[in-house]
Amino acid sequence: MVTIAAGTQRRGRRQPEEGQALILAATRRVTRQRVLLSAIHSVIGLAFLLPMLWVIDAAFSVHASPLLTRPSFTLVNFRSALSLGAGRAIGNSLYLAVVSTVIATAVSVLAAYALSRQRVPLKGTLLVGTLVLSGLPITLLLIPIYIMYVHLNWLNSPFYTSLALAASSVPFAIWLLKNFIDQVPKEFEEAAAIEGSGGMRILWRVIVPLATPGILVAAIITFINSWGAFLLPLVLDANPANTPASIGIYDNILANSQVSYGPLAAYAILFSVPVIVLYLISTRWLHGGFSFAGGVKG
Amino acid sequence: MTVATAPAGDLAPGSSRANDRERFKPSTLLWISPATAILVGLFLVPIGYAIYLGFTNLQLLGPHAQFYNFTGLANADRMVHDPQFWSSVKLTLIFVIGSGIVAQTILGMALALLGQRSFLTVRMSVGSIVIVAWVLPEIACAFLWYAFSQAGGPLSHLIGKPGDDLLSTVPFLIVCVANVWRGTAFSMLILSAGLRGVPEEVDEAAQLEGASYWRRLFRVTLPIIRPTILVNMLLITIGTISDFTLIYAMTQGGPGTSTAILPVFMYIEAFTYNALGYGTAIALALMVIGLLISAVYIHQLRPELRRGQ
Amino acid sequence: MAKLVLEGVSKTFKGKPLAAVYDLDLEVEDGEFLVVVGPSGCGKTTTLRMIAGFETPSQGVIRIDGKPMNSVLPKDRNLAMVFQSYALFPHMTVAKNLSFGMKARHEPKATISREIETIAGMLGIDSLLDRKPAELSGGERQRVALGRALLRRPQAFLLDEPLSNLDAALRVQMRLEIKRIHKQFPVTTVYVTHDQVEAMTMADRIALMSGGRLQQAAAPERIYDSPANTFVATFIGTPKINLLSGSVVSDGGACHVTFLGCTYSLDSAASKALHRFAGSSVTVGFRPEEVRLAPGGGGRLPTAQGTVELVEPLGSETNVVARFDEQVIVFKVPARSGLSVGDSIRVEFEPSQMKLFDPDSGASLDLGSAHSEPQLSPIRV
Repeated sequence: MVTIAAGTQRRGRRQPEEGQALILAATRRVTRQRVLLSAIHSVIGLAFLLPMLWVIDAAFSVHASPLLTRPSFTLVNFRSALSLGAGRAIGNSLYLAVVSTVIATAVSVLAAYALSRQRVPLKGTLLVGTLVLSGLPITLLLIPIYIMYVHLNWLNSPFYTSLALAASSVPFAIWLLKNFIDQVPKEFEEAAAIEGSGGMRILWRVIVPLATPGILVAAIITFINSWGAFLLPLVLDANPANTPASIGIYDNILANSQVSYGPLAAYAILFSVPVIVLYLISTRWLHGGFSFAGGVKG
Repeated sequence: MTVATAPAGDLAPGSSRANDRERFKPSTLLWISPATAILVGLFLVPIGYAIYLGFTNLQLLGPHAQFYNFTGLANADRMVHDPQFWSSVKLTLIFVIGSGIVAQTILGMALALLGQRSFLTVRMSVGSIVIVAWVLPEIACAFLWYAFSQAGGPLSHLIGKPGDDLLSTVPFLIVCVANVWRGTAFSMLILSAGLRGVPEEVDEAAQLEGASYWRRLFRVTLPIIRPTILVNMLLITIGTISDFTLIYAMTQGGPGTSTAILPVFMYIEAFTYNALGYGTAIALALMVIGLLISAVYIHQLRPELRRGQ
Repeated sequence: MAKLVLEGVSKTFKGKPLAAVYDLDLEVEDGEFLVVVGPSGCGKTTTLRMIAGFETPSQGVIRIDGKPMNSVLPKDRNLAMVFQSYALFPHMTVAKNLSFGMKARHEPKATISREIETIAGMLGIDSLLDRKPAELSGGERQRVALGRALLRRPQAFLLDEPLSNLDAALRVQMRLEIKRIHKQFPVTTVYVTHDQVEAMTMADRIALMSGGRLQQAAAPERIYDSPANTFVATFIGTPKINLLSGSVVSDGGACHVTFLGCTYSLDSAASKALHRFAGSSVTVGFRPEEVRLAPGGGGRLPTAQGTVELVEPLGSETNVVARFDEQVIVFKVPARSGLSVGDSIRVEFEPSQMKLFDPDSGASLDLGSAHSEPQLSPIRV
């Protein structure tokens, strides 16, 4: 048996070049594979990008047509969009989104905290129920809700429309927040309780700061859903002054037989940018891609 | 708002804290009351109401707007004999299963798998593009595809028929494509997360056994993330089956009713043709279909649910 | 079954300045059971993964049966590996786990079931064939992993700390079982562990690594008796070897080694080898069993005087920790010697077992071999 100590003579070592050549071959093969896969990946990406390119092109072109042309970087269309009522409509969307988010988040945080920490009668049933309801799109309940609103005289009110929008996000928000709060160590609240803090103060001072990421996720999901809401506002609010931008864009598509693509594209971009920015900010904060498990459609 | 103070006795060592069962405090009801009010008022009550309304002849306008009666199974009967209803069901199923479950899962999986190997910049850029398509407000997506598929538009030029208004010639196809474009990001995110959960050593073990890439993918990786795939499909189903805006904004269910999936059909019957009762019945049918499909998934997920995943 | 050779293999990871493996030359003979052992981070797992093909060497060549493997995919290398986590397919039954590889290689069904029956029987897992990994105990899972590896009929076995997740009793049992299996299927085996007891008891040869470098590769006895440097000397052997500071004194043509007030003379060959060190310090090593209480009234050997600090009775023998001036020595005495803390004692050292090391590099000083240059074995990088 031979004892080898590192650093002693290399026994019968072939040229190190052979090793290098083999390594190069191996690395080259791996890179070739990655290049091919990246190419396929990019092609799919381009296919997704194409419609978006068109919108940007149309919004910035003077004579926008369905065809792709070289954009001329004019802001004319944006001004036209505003004259079409984009400003007011987006303001309405903002109202709906903010109010519904505030309601939904506040309500859900309270309930989630109680479900997480306190003794609630029928807690199991309630939790399962919340889970089931989060799978029930509120569009299915459109007609009964409409009729209820008729009877309650809650129609044509941005506030009550926001309430309905909030409701559609509450079940999922409760579920999300309860699981989040479950993971906040109990010691903090116990420490606060010993000092004599009451429930509400504990919630505000202890839970909310610690559960902020979860609260933000719930709030952002609700916001994005309400911002783009279409059906509920369509049915629950017929007052043109209250029309949110989602319906505003739609009205303009329908209204003119000759669709003015430029201004509409600008309108669509104005309407979309806030949400995209919100999403980008949130992924940056909440450390990269959090998955909207089930909250966005409908 | 009443401030609930935890009595010191609750935290005395050896008392309720030790045996982990808090006493019920009436103040708890206050905490959950707003949520309960909303859920009861805007979910449970409407559900109950819907179950009643679906069997009436209520109208939006007209003779039965004010004075309507319980009509028993008349709506159900009408539905069963309504060819448009059945066509709508068929469209809904194709829309949900085809452009929803199948297309988005496959495309989402492809993107997730490609993302594992492609260069970082490519992965981030393509990922961002796909996700932006998903975050866009639905109306923007509808407008985008509406314009994109117009006569003389980019899509018609791409397929070589510049004169065709694709929303008239192949409306359902366009709507399905738009839906895939919009929804794929969701599957991509969920499936990527699932793939990351597969232990690397298991795949390495499979490699050493001599298994090719595809065998490893289909016999090892995918079966391991089966629960993730099923949950993804369930969520896609729930989201797609009730989708209204995309289709309504692009085609209003038309031409004719060739793109009227059930939510759109329901809206048209209720608000265009004033038949609120019938519309509710359609909504109920939709709920039943949704529940049936969900039951299938939950049945498939039984072993995982039992294990507490 | 094949001979495995690593030539000048190095591995540097992106972003890490220090190499994980540096200039490794190692040969594993056909059928040999080689244990690669060392502390965490020494590069042993990286080496194993390079052999398997999951990492590509930054430099050097890996050969199996003379054929270079650097650009061969893991799945084509015809190797089998038992991972530390066993890496069983969680969604498949034990039977399917075992048959996975053979199915992937398109072997006939009859062969597959026959082989599984044989191996499962041999490993005692035939009653578990329909269970899933989650339902098995750690030891059972490990046996399934072994079974899967055996069924591969590989050119070489690679085992990555397979016993670390088992409790002590099971570990001893499995050590025997693995050796027994190796006797029955004498396949070239590379076994990685951080446990020197496993290394000493299981290996045909041990390859000791530290800081990415190979410190010594030799049979267990040789590593124990002739460690290449102080790292090897300290790593192998419990209780640890005693390293004392001493010096070499030259007296005309003969050299003496002095430590703790004792002087040992060296024979002519050794004196010649150590001549360069005359007047300088040297590290002297004695294992605990090579130090003993001096016979009452003194023997022929020089002795050192010290005080007992700690007595550890082990039942069959007793470890004693004693202080001699500034240095501490651990040595063994028979079980009921009646020593207690504070006792003053004299010990003597077995001259034939004296090991000398360079005080700076730690390399062992070869006494009397033709090769008189101290070997350069860096200790901990």
